Amino acid sequence: MASIMHPTVRPVAQDAAGTTRPQQVGLALAVLGLGMAVVTLVANITAGGDPSVRVSTLPWSFGLTTTAFGTLKLGIGVVLYGILLNLWLRVDSIKTTLGRLVRVEHTVIQSGRIRTAHGLIEVGDGVPSDLPIHKMAKKLWSPMLAMGYMAVIVGFFISLSWASGGGVTASAWTQGIQFLGEGFLLSGISFILGTILWAIRTGGGEVQKGLGVAVKTLRMPVTAKLFVALMAAGLMASVVQFVLYLALAGGAAANNAAWFAFLGPLRELSLALILGGITFALVAIGTALTVQFDRVVELLKTGK
Amino acid sequence: MSFAIETFPSNPGPAGPHKLGAKLWAPMWAMAALAFTAGTIVAAVRSGNISGGGAEATIQAQAHLVAAFNFTGFATLFAAISFAIARILGVFRSGGAEVQIAAGADIHLLKMPKSAKAFIGLMAVAMMTILVAVVVHFALAAGTASGSVSVADSESAAIVLEGVRRFGVAIYLMAIALGLGNITTVLRFQAARLSEI
Repeated sequence: MASIMHPTVRPVAQDAAGTTRPQQVGLALAVLGLGMAVVTLVANITAGGDPSVRVSTLPWSFGLTTTAFGTLKLGIGVVLYGILLNLWLRVDSIKTTLGRLVRVEHTVIQSGRIRTAHGLIEVGDGVPSDLPIHKMAKKLWSPMLAMGYMAVIVGFFISLSWASGGGVTASAWTQGIQFLGEGFLLSGISFILGTILWAIRTGGGEVQKGLGVAVKTLRMPVTAKLFVALMAAGLMASVVQFVLYLALAGGAAANNAAWFAFLGPLRELSLALILGGITFALVAIGTALTVQFDRVVELLKTGK
Repeated sequence: MSFAIETFPSNPGPAGPHKLGAKLWAPMWAMAALAFTAGTIVAAVRSGNISGGGAEATIQAQAHLVAAFNFTGFATLFAAISFAIARILGVFRSGGAEVQIAAGADIHLLKMPKSAKAFIGLMAVAMMTILVAVVVHFALAAGTASGSVSVADSESAAIVLEGVRRFGVAIYLMAIALGLGNITTVLRFQAARLSEI
């Protein structure tokens, strides 16, 4: 159980054989999610053409669609975990290969900063320490994915009660808890991306330190800062929409319809904010990899 | 483990989809930001109309507008994510070739796997599915507001379109899972290639 809730973020070499498994499991989950979405598509087409089945169909269709999205996102999270494991195998490979190929020119390492086309590079003689976001990301990605998926599943069961006449209370609970779950799932994905950025940074530092050359590390780029800010904003908006739905379920509003009309788009906006952050995280990963490739080429050519 | 590889005399650089990804992720992100801003504003106006007892046709038309704007946002945001993934794959391709040149080795690169082609294909299908639904939403918003489409018909269409939009999102997520899966394959290939040099 502990290994499921806190999977390793750094495999040892003998784990290499198992590194394709997350990709396979993740893609299988994604196919399962897509299958659920087909069912809800058929349900909505049927309900669109027959008003008599709408009240009993649309609630569970909503619940199942969100479960489909949750399953797809969980699948994406598992695939990303596979990327994390494989990144470390690549680090091991680079260590061995560069140790063989690079003729190191031992010079005095001068600490400082270099401005490049890809951003500021920090020069030092040690492996860079973890940033606070890295520490948080390593700890939180798996609990967020687990809590998110559980919330989505709980919401699906509440949607069945909504379909059998649960009214405003069941409707508000279904929407609120399922989109809180979606927010957690996307935050879990964001934290794995943060953990991948940590692995690129730490792995790169270890390779350079191992060779005894200057350790050049990309300083946190603007895209990474935007990633963190958008993820935090989106997660907060997810919690806010959940609280407002709970208030509706408790009968706090005089006009439920007006609140439901606003909360739907608000919960979509909350997910959009996290997705916007995920885009920046992927761009930051691309930039960090570019800097690493440049550094490997520099080491092969100059030995320093 | 075996990989389908291609050999090149010089660095081929990023492939077409990779270059497209590097150029288009930012404009797509910006379009998404605009679309969600518009969707949120219309949603607030609609909510005010409901509490103020506005005309049923207007409220229904605004529901179509909110869905159209927000799902334009989702379509372009998922496109931005897909393009960012393509950009990463381009970095691996170009950077991998550069490292092999610097090491004095033959340039071996991974052939575009079927899953990468499926990633591009599914992304296009998802984008089209959502955008078709968005266009119909805009048309229905105009029709409902002008009275040429009845509120009942407009509601029925909204339910079907909701299913179509959500299915489009599910296809997008599947495409993204496949795209990320390709990164895993590239990492495994590069680890294997490095140990050969």
